[in-house]
Amino acid sequence: MWFFNSVIGKIFDILFLPFRGLSPWVAMIVISFLTGLLMLFIFRHTSNQEGIRRIKNKIKAHLLELRLYKDSLAQQLTSQGKILSANFKYFSYALKPMLVMIIPVMLILIQLNLWFGSHSLDIGDEALVKVKLMEGTNPLQTDIRLEVPPGIAVETPPLRIEDEGEIDWRLRATEKGIHNILFRYHDETFTKSVAVGQNRLSKIAVLKPGKGLLEQAFNPGEKPLPKNAPIESVEITYPGRRMNLFGWRIHWLIAYFGLSIVFGFAFRGVIKVEI
Amino acid sequence: MNHPIRRRDFIKSSLRAASLLALGTWCGLVTKAQGKKATSRKVIILGFDGMDPRLTDMWMKEGKLPAFQRLTVQGGFHSLGTSIPPQSPVAWSNFITGMNPGGHGIFDFIHRDPKTYIPTFSASATEDASKTIRVGNFVLPIKGGTVKNLRQGKAFWQILEEHDIPATIFKIPANYPPVSSKERTLSGMGTPDLLGSYGRFRYYTTEPKEIQEDIGGGEVHLVYVIGNRVEAKLPGPINTFKKDRPEAEIDFKVFIDPQNPVAKVVIQDQEFILGEKEWSGWKRVRFPLIPSQSVTGICMFYLKEVRPNFKLYVSPINVDPGNPALPISTPESYAKELEKKFGPFFTKGLPADTSALENEILDEEEFLEQDDFVLEESRAMLDYELGRFDSGLFFYYISSTDQRQHMFWRMLDEKHPAYDPALAKKFGGVIENTYREADRILDHVLGKIDKDTVVLVMSDHGFNPFNRGFNLNTWLRQNGYLRLRNEFKQEDLEIGFPSTDWSKTKAFGLGLNGLYINQKGREAEGIVQPGPDKENLVREIARKLEEFTDPKTGEKVVLKAYVARDVYSGAHVDEAPDIVLGFNRGYRISFKSPLGRVPKDVLEDNRAKWSGDHMGAAEIMPGILLANQPFKAESPALCDLTATIMDVFGIEKPEGMIGKTIFE
Ligand SMILES: [Zn+2]
Repeated sequence: MWFFNSVIGKIFDILFLPFRGLSPWVAMIVISFLTGLLMLFIFRHTSNQEGIRRIKNKIKAHLLELRLYKDSLAQQLTSQGKILSANFKYFSYALKPMLVMIIPVMLILIQLNLWFGSHSLDIGDEALVKVKLMEGTNPLQTDIRLEVPPGIAVETPPLRIEDEGEIDWRLRATEKGIHNILFRYHDETFTKSVAVGQNRLSKIAVLKPGKGLLEQAFNPGEKPLPKNAPIESVEITYPGRRMNLFGWRIHWLIAYFGLSIVFGFAFRGVIKVEI
Repeated sequence: MNHPIRRRDFIKSSLRAASLLALGTWCGLVTKAQGKKATSRKVIILGFDGMDPRLTDMWMKEGKLPAFQRLTVQGGFHSLGTSIPPQSPVAWSNFITGMNPGGHGIFDFIHRDPKTYIPTFSASATEDASKTIRVGNFVLPIKGGTVKNLRQGKAFWQILEEHDIPATIFKIPANYPPVSSKERTLSGMGTPDLLGSYGRFRYYTTEPKEIQEDIGGGEVHLVYVIGNRVEAKLPGPINTFKKDRPEAEIDFKVFIDPQNPVAKVVIQDQEFILGEKEWSGWKRVRFPLIPSQSVTGICMFYLKEVRPNFKLYVSPINVDPGNPALPISTPESYAKELEKKFGPFFTKGLPADTSALENEILDEEEFLEQDDFVLEESRAMLDYELGRFDSGLFFYYISSTDQRQHMFWRMLDEKHPAYDPALAKKFGGVIENTYREADRILDHVLGKIDKDTVVLVMSDHGFNPFNRGFNLNTWLRQNGYLRLRNEFKQEDLEIGFPSTDWSKTKAFGLGLNGLYINQKGREAEGIVQPGPDKENLVREIARKLEEFTDPKTGEKVVLKAYVARDVYSGAHVDEAPDIVLGFNRGYRISFKSPLGRVPKDVLEDNRAKWSGDHMGAAEIMPGILLANQPFKAESPALCDLTATIMDVFGIEKPEGMIGKTIFE
C-alpha cells in the first residue's frame, strides 16, 4: 500500500511543485482543470455517446411539446411523463462513467486533502499529538517516550486516557520547518512529521497510519508505522484550512467540485463530449 | 404588587435574552470608518479609570512615574472634578456629553421603575422581538428585538463627525450599545457578556461551594470524576427562539490523567490539554439555537486543580468580536477587523473577573494573570491604532487601574477589615505596579506623537478605602422614614422591597448613591405630596444624613447629601434621585442596600476583597488631569474636557454643554 501511496503522492508532488510558493488557488484551479478534462475523457470513452445524444434530443422535443400544447392538460401530462422517463434513461447512460470515475476521483480527493485540508502550525501555535494504541493496549502500562527536535516543544506530561487507549501531549511550534518528533518504545523508535510555518501550498500529513489498510489508503501522506509498533495511529491536531474567496471561507471540496464542473462544461465542446 | 425577586433573576430579566436574538436588526451597512478631514491639530486622550490624584502625586514625587512627571513639567497636573456621584457610568457620561447627569440622564449604575419600585440597569435596555410567530416548539422573530443605549445627549465624537473630524474611540465606558457613528468606536464598560449579564463565570468542581452574588455573578457546577473523566455542560444564552426559553448549552468532556496533573478538554470540535494552573487562551464556542441560527462566543478555561479536587474555571462567555451577536462596535466591521488582526479579545465591559476573586474561585495571583491578558490585548491594539492615527481624535481606555484598586486596596491599609498581613506582603505593591504600568503606556504614547498633538491624560474619579458599609434603608427605617409591613421583623433581605409598607414609607434608598422620596403621583404607592411637603422632607433627611456619625469611629458617614435640584441641570433632572449621598472617606453604601434590602444594622464592616471604592462626595473623589501643554483652568472638571475638545478643533460649543475649555 505504501508503495502505491508514495507513487501517487510523488505524482502530486511533481504536479504541485511549480505552485508551492503561490496562493493555493493557483494549484486548485490547475487541478480542477485537469480533473475536469479527466472526467470528460472518461465520460467520452465509457458512456453511450450516441444514446445520450438521442435522449437529449428527445427531451428537447418533449419540452417543445409542453410549450406548444399549453392548453391541453392531457398532452401536458403525457409530455411531462415522457420527460421524466427520458431523464431516468439519461441517468442510466451516465451511470457507467460515474462508476468508472469513482476510483480516480477518490484517489485525487485523498491526495488533495493532504494539500488543502489542514493548515500548518504557525510559530507559537499549540497542537496536540495523539497516539492511539492498538486495541487492548493499556496506555498506563505502555511506556512510550516522546522526544522532540528544536523547533517543537513538549509542554505537558503524557495524558493517558485508558478508555480510549490514547496518549496525548501538548506541543508548541517554536521554529519554522518540517520537524520529526520521535517516539521511543522499548528499543524501537518511530517518527511523526510536524509542519510549522508552511503557509502557502504545502502537504500536511495529519495522521500517520498503522497496520490497517483502509487507514493507510485514506492517510497516504506519511509512511505507515512499523508493524511491531503497539500503535494504531499518530495524529497532530492541525487547524482546519479554508479557502479564502473574497473574504468567504469555503471548504476546499466545494471549491474543487465547483471549479471541476465549470471546467468540464466549458471544455465539453472542445473535446466533443456529449454530457 | 411586588413579587420578591432574587438578584439573579433581576440580572437575567433586565439584560439577558432579548438583546441577543436581536440578530440582524442592528447589522447596518458596513461603512468606512472615519471623518475625512485631515486636521492640523490632533488630540489623544488616555483614560485611566479610577486613577487617584493623591497616589499619582505621591508616586510621582517618589520618581516612580517618570512619564507622568514629564507631562506635569511640560503642561501640568491637576485634580479633575468628578461627577455627582463619582460612579464610572455617570462620570464617563459627563465626559462624553459635556453635561451633568441632569442632562444625560445617567444618575447611578442602577435606576428604579417608579411604577414597581424594581431596580433596573441604567445604561442600556433590551426589548424582545416585537413580532414573533410560533412554529411548533420554536418562536421565530419576524421583527427583531433591540438593545438601546439609555444615555441622552450627543457624544462628543458625534459632534466631531458632524464637522467631518475623524475619531477613534476605544472602549470608552457608558457607550453600550455604541451610539450611531461612522467613526471607529468599540464599546467598553456596560457591554454585557453573551448571556446578557455583566459577566457570569462557571466553575466546575467536585467540591461544593457557595457563591455570594452581591459583587457579581457566577455559577458553581458540581461535577463527578468517573473513570478519570468529567462530563459537564457549558450554559449559554437564553434561547428565545424556543417556546419555553431554555438556556442554550454545550456538552463538554474533560479527561484527566490518572497520575500527571493534566487534563484534556474536549468541546465541540476542539480539544486542548491544560496543565494544572494553566489558562487555555481564548476558545470559540457555538451555541445552536434553531437549525438555521446559532451564536458564537469566546471564553477562557483555567485548570485550577486536578487532584484531590477537580476545579475548572470558565470565564464569562464574551461576545465574539469576530462574529458579534450584540452591537459592540461602529462600524460593525471594526470589531471584526481587530479580531482578524489580533484574534479574539475581551469584549465584556469590565473584563477582570472581580466576582471570581471575591468568591475565591480565582485567587489574587490568578486574578492578576487574567487581568494581565486584558492589558496585553489592549496594549497591542493601542500600538495598532497609534500607528495609523494621523488626524482628529483618539481616545484610549484602561480598566485595570480601577479594577485592581477595588480588589487590592485592602493590602494598603492595616486598618481595613479584610487586611491580611501575609497577602499584604505579597500583593501590597499591586496598585503601585498598576500605576507604573499606566506610566509605561503613557511613555509609549508620548514617544509616538508629533508637536501638533495635544495629549490629555485623565481619570473619571479617584479612589478611597471602603472599610464600612452603610445600609441606607435600615437608617431610613430607624429614623421612621421607611416602614416594613411587619414592624417586628428584624430585617428584610429580599430585593425590590417586597415587605415594605408603602402607605407609611416616605423615602427609600436604591442604587449606589440614590435616595428617593415616595412621592405621590410619581411612585406607584407614593404618599408624599410634591411641593413644599416634599421639599421640607428632602432638606430634613439630607440634614440628618449629614449629621449622622458612625458610633464605632465617631466619624461622619455621609459627607454631603446632595439635593438633586441644587446640583443638576438639564432636561432629565426630574428623573434623578431626590438626594444623592456623597460618602465620607472610608464609607460606602453596603453591598446589600443598592437593590433595596433592609438588613438589621445600619453600619457594617466591609470584609470583602472589594475593598477600595469611589462612592464618596465628589469633593473628596476627584480624578486626575495632565496635559502636554499648559492649561489655565483653576478647577477643571470632566465636562470641561469635552468643551476643550470642541475648542481644540475650533468647534463652537453646542447648547447643553456646560463646561469651559481648560486652555483659556
Ligand atoms: Zn470602579
